[in-house]
This record gives sequence, C-alpha cells and structure tokens, in this order.
Amino acid sequence: MKKEAEKTPGPMTDFLEFKRHLPKERILLELVIVAGGFVLLAPILKVQRVTDFMIFCIFVLSFDLLYGYMGRLSFGHMLFLGAGAYGGGLCIRYITKDPLLAILAGIVLAGLLAMLIGPIIVRTTGACFALINLAFNQVGFFLVLSVLRKITKGEDGLGVVPAGLGGLNLGSRPIMFGFVLFFLLLTFYVLRRVTTSPYGYLIRSIKEDETRVKFLGYNTFLYKWLTYVLAGCLAGLAGTLNALNYGYVNPNFMDTHRNVDVVFAVLIGGAGNLYGSIIGGVVYMVISNYLAIYIPRWEIVLGMALLILVFRFRQGIWGYVRKKGARRSIPAEIGVERG
Amino acid sequence: MINTIIYGLTIGAILYFISIGLSLTFGTMKIVNFAHALVYTVGIYMVITFLPLLKGNFWVAALIGTAVVVPISYVIERFIIRRLYGESLDYAIIATYAVLLIGVDAIKWIWGVNPYPMSDPIGKYLSLGGLTIPVYRILIVVIAVLLFGALNFFFRKSIVGKIVVAALEDKDGVRCLGIKVDKYFSVVFMLGSALAALGGILYAPITSIHPYMGFTVLLLSFSVVIVGGMGNLNGTFVSAFALGLVMSFTARYWSQAAETMVFIVMAIMLIIKPIEI
Repeated sequence: MKKEAEKTPGPMTDFLEFKRHLPKERILLELVIVAGGFVLLAPILKVQRVTDFMIFCIFVLSFDLLYGYMGRLSFGHMLFLGAGAYGGGLCIRYITKDPLLAILAGIVLAGLLAMLIGPIIVRTTGACFALINLAFNQVGFFLVLSVLRKITKGEDGLGVVPAGLGGLNLGSRPIMFGFVLFFLLLTFYVLRRVTTSPYGYLIRSIKEDETRVKFLGYNTFLYKWLTYVLAGCLAGLAGTLNALNYGYVNPNFMDTHRNVDVVFAVLIGGAGNLYGSIIGGVVYMVISNYLAIYIPRWEIVLGMALLILVFRFRQGIWGYVRKKGARRSIPAEIGVERG
Repeated sequence: MINTIIYGLTIGAILYFISIGLSLTFGTMKIVNFAHALVYTVGIYMVITFLPLLKGNFWVAALIGTAVVVPISYVIERFIIRRLYGESLDYAIIATYAVLLIGVDAIKWIWGVNPYPMSDPIGKYLSLGGLTIPVYRILIVVIAVLLFGALNFFFRKSIVGKIVVAALEDKDGVRCLGIKVDKYFSVVFMLGSALAALGGILYAPITSIHPYMGFTVLLLSFSVVIVGGMGNLNGTFVSAFALGLVMSFTARYWSQAAETMVFIVMAIMLIIKPIEI
C-alpha cells in the first residue's frame, strides 16, 4: 500500500524524473540520422550555408517547444535570439574571447530575460500571448537600438571575433560547421528527452486543455514558465551561434518583422514534432536562400504560402509523410492478420 | 505643457479610432486581427492617391479612403476569418498576419517604400495667450468625442448595436434566440475597419506615411484594448486617451521611449489584472 502511495504522481516529483520512454539506441540512431543528413547536405550546398541552416533549425526547435508542444504562439521569439546574440557578442567584446563562455553568456542572458518577463507573459493565452511577446520584442529592439547605444553601438552593431577553441580556429568553415552541428545535436537530444518525459506530456496536456490539467492538481503556471524559459534559453543559444557564425551582431537580430520566418518554418515542417521542425527549418532556409533571389515580391509569396498552409496543409511536411506511412502500414498489418 | 496635453489628446483620439475595431473583434470573435493594420494603411494610401484628383480636397478624399476599406474588410472577414472562426485562434492569427504581409507588400509594389509627406489640411492655428495650437488637432479630438457619443447611441439604441452588446456578453445565448450572430459580427468587423481607416487618414497629416506604419500602431492600439478591457467600449475610450497622454508626456522628456512606455503600462496592467481568453 505504502509503495503505491509513493508512486502516485505529484506535481514536482515526476517532473524531475526523466523516465526512459526512449531506448538509448533509438536516440543514438536519430542523432546519427540528423547529423548524417546535414553532413550530406554540406557538400551539395555550401558548408557556410548549411551552418546557417543548422543554427536556424535550433531556433525553430526552440520555437516548436513553445508553439508545437505547449500550444502558445509567440510573435516575439526573435527577442530571445537577439538577447542571445547580444549576450554572446558583449561577452566577447568586453569580458573574454572564449566562444564557449560567450555561448554560456548568451544562454544566461536570454534565460534571465525569459525568467523576468515570463511570469507576465505566460498568464495569457492565444492572441494576447502572441501580441505581448511582440510588444516585448519591440521594446527589446528599441533598447538595443537606442537606449543601450553606448554598449551595443546601436545600428552599427558589434564585431564578434572569438578566440580559438583549444587550438581549433572557429574562423575556418568546416570547424564552425562541426561546432554548430554539435550544438544542434545537443539541442535535439535535450528536447527529445524533455518532450518524451512526463514533463513533456504535461506541457502537451496544457496545450489540449489547461483547465483540466489544473484540476489534476498541477501548477500549470510553473510548467508554462519553465517551458518559456527553456525555449528562451535555446533561442539564445541559436542567437549566440548566429553572432559567432556571422562575426557580428546588430539590431537586425531582434527585428520583429522576422518573427514570421520561424512561424512559417514550424508550420511547413509540421508543428509539435522535432523532425518536423528540422525539416521545416531546412526547407524554409532553402526557399528563402534560393527562391527569394528569383522572386521579386517575396513577402506576397510568403503570405500566400502561409495562407495555403493554414487552410490546406496544416499537418506540414512531416505530418504528411507520417500519414502516408501510416496508410501504407495499416493494410499491411491487416494482411498479416488475415494470412 | 498645454501643447503636450493637446498632443497627447490627439494621439489618444487616433488610438481610440483604431482600437474600437480591435476591441470589438476581440470581444466578439476572440480573434486578433493583424489585418487591422492593413486597412489602416490602405485608407491612408487611398487618400494619397485621390488627393491630387480631387484638387486637394482632404475631406472628400478621407470619405473615399474610408469607403474603399469596407469591401476589403468584408473580403478578409468572409474568406479568411469566418472560415477559421471557432477552429483555432493560432491559425486565425497566422492567417491575418499573412494577409497583412501580402497587403503591405502590395502597397510597396504599387506606391513604393518612400515615405510620403502630407500637409495639414486646415493649416490654421489658434493662438491662446502665447501658445499656438493647430486647429486640426483640436478637430481630431472633437471628432473622437463625437464618435464616442455616436457609438454609445448606436450600441444602446439601435437593434444591431444591442445584438452586438448582447453577443459580447454571451454569444451562444444570443444565437439561441435565433439571431444569426455571424452576420452582425461581419457588420461590426466592417465598422471597426472603416473607423481604423478613418483614424489612419486623420493621423496621416501629422505623421510620416510609409508601408510599415501599421505595425507599430497595431501594437499601440492592442495595448489600449488590454488596458481598457476587451470588448469594453467605454474602457477603450478612457484608456486610449490615458495612453495617448502617457505617450506625449514621455515624449516630452525622452522622445524615443514614448512607445516603450505604453508597453510598460500594459505589462503593469497585466500583472495587476491578468487576462484569460
């Protein structure tokens, strides 16, 4: 009896306990597939481009945690990308040139920001959530552009040149590629573990029906806040990597108009799925890198594509692939049973 | 000092025009309409186009600009919002944002990205004990107050207004009475859009005109709606003028922080009184 009582799920206890729903081999295989995909992509496109793609994928993954898993659509996620970029950039300029410490600084700055504004933001849902994020993003943009001009150098931005990483020169493209790939895999691994843990199921339940989760005795506010902070930290990581990769940081990293990119990427890949985010990130980057050159009215095309996605193609590419796969496998199973 | 107050009241009046539509669509449909920023911008560009044809008659151009917006908002409501209505808030937000993107890019295509200057349509000044106040600004405030009275009359006395007010309280209850709520929402939507366009047109001579002008204004009027309460028409009126004054007084001491201050007020309001939709 006593043992069973201990096992009943409590708000805080089973959040910290990451159950092994996923076998180790499966995660390893998935990591190899993701890494292999990008390594294969590198010679086809350019190494530099693919590095850019991977950073964007980290950003999309962080957004997917918020939108796809917790069901909170944000129109101000660029705030955390920018915070990470500035955290890393300022660290390199004023404190130390170590790239790992810069990344840490970026994550910490974005995380602190999310912790600070999170309690205000996660109280809201739906449209309010989207617009309050946008408002804070606008405030952040204004801060780095003019209030903190002395530190951030305003519109001109900062040059970010990190020192080497234990003898490896990050200026060389293949090394940067490996460096970013490592962080992408790390993000993927963390999110894969987090989303399959009880905590991951809990935030998905919040997406479905928050009131019921509250009735079960969970403090949904805490979990929403934690998710918000985690998403902010990961976006900050993407931001710092972006700054390191480009070698500079300027207020464009926080531009509110670019929020639609990540929304589009998540939708086209399929929200609420990590593979979907990665596919969406790559597809969006391919489209915006190659097609945007040939299409003169890029925003119109982007808007039309968004409308088509919303009305006709909600499951995204990954959802479509999975549905096709499921259709094919069900008749086969029936066939086996009959046989 | 008096100039600052007058400026704040002018901004407040403009914010009021734009926020009514947002507040009503928020209150009735629970949808945030990014396309609101589009109709606001379209109205202004219509005035720019028609002004030379009408030999500079600003008021006729303003009427035409407001009228042009009505069919546009009907199309947006009928083919975008109504199809997503009740399905998912997120998709509605994304879809109206897509409409805004398309519309703004079309404006850039037709009229170009360069800002247009526009002169004060009245051009007279009122001098009061050493102060010179543009008559046009006072006129904007007067129009806003008149509009407030007219809207109150509309929502208290006319049957359409009464239905909308009832639907703000309890939509399903009104539907149970056999009233096609969606039809009235559509009317309200067009009314809100037309008022947003009118607000934009009245604001145009004071500010600079460029395709992206709608984005900031949308955020500001959203703050007005949050502070005033969603679907609360009197609250919207009060909060629009209050936030307009906040903007002008901040701008007096630190011009760049005016908009940021509004968002800070909104954040404080949200801490005091969280909103659940």
